[in-house]
Amino acid sequence: MKLDPGERFPDLDLPDHTGRPRRLSELAGGDPVALLFSRGWWCPKEQRHLREVTRLQDEFEVAYARIVVVSIDAPQVQSAFRAGLGARFTFLSDGDRRWLARLDLLEDTDMLHRPYRPTAFTLHPDLTIHAVYDGYWYWGRPTPEDLRRDMRAISRTVRKDFER
Amino acid sequence: MTELPIGAAHLSYDGRALHGATGPGRCFMIDARCLRGVALPGAYAHVCALPGESAVLEFDQPEVQQVRRDALAWWIPLLGDALVCITTLAIDESRYGGAITVTREPVAWSEDPFARIFPGTVVRTDAFCEVAPPAGPVVERYAGVAWPGGRF
Repeated sequence: MKLDPGERFPDLDLPDHTGRPRRLSELAGGDPVALLFSRGWWCPKEQRHLREVTRLQDEFEVAYARIVVVSIDAPQVQSAFRAGLGARFTFLSDGDRRWLARLDLLEDTDMLHRPYRPTAFTLHPDLTIHAVYDGYWYWGRPTPEDLRRDMRAISRTVRKDFER
Repeated sequence: MTELPIGAAHLSYDGRALHGATGPGRCFMIDARCLRGVALPGAYAHVCALPGESAVLEFDQPEVQQVRRDALAWWIPLLGDALVCITTLAIDESRYGGAITVTREPVAWSEDPFARIFPGTVVRTDAFCEVAPPAGPVVERYAGVAWPGGRF
């Protein structure tokens, strides 16, 4: 599956951190999205990066933009991890690795957990991919400034009154 | 009665029961999705509002922002499958009059963060339908519709 800028990201259907079935398009709800595929709660790099993202939610909450995290953790694990982070955004659970295989995002150097390869996408409200970040190496992940820049660029194209 | 933005619906509350748009009591605007689907009979609505017109705050006041953050952070996860829908109660595009959390069964109402603003009353209702909970982290209103409803 091609996951390049300009392509439409698939409309993931997965349970959220409470176990409720959700779709990515519904979570987007007409807003730009930062979609983060994460190894899981056990990884120190994920813990560090998601703490950074959680700090950024104070801007997203007033800026009409969404954050969605996908991992192979079970919903109850995600719910505890989310609470520990103080996150107010949605986690999606792909415990069966159903989408992991279709998206070709398996981290093939971790045969113990078989997690997602850390990858971030910034998406338009219609799920068109704006930018892709391969976060296998920590420095490949989007910084808060990268996410701000992408959200600004997407908002400029989808909010007709962004600039006068 | 306030003119409705797209995505909003009217509902009235007299302190003991919920009624339709023209019913007795104080009229509020809610997220219309809560009334748009197949209604769930015998649900429990925790109405954190007062019938008196003076019970009103700005949506932008810090305490009203914080209860929406708390709803996203732990109130909605705490409710789990019991949650049917949730809506704030808007007086108009900028003023907050309360909130309603609707569940299939009695839950820990004493934990409801919205009851910190206006006290809650449990009301049985056949009016509400299931709506997916807000994804977060957005706590702002969309186009003047009661949070979490509306979109641009």
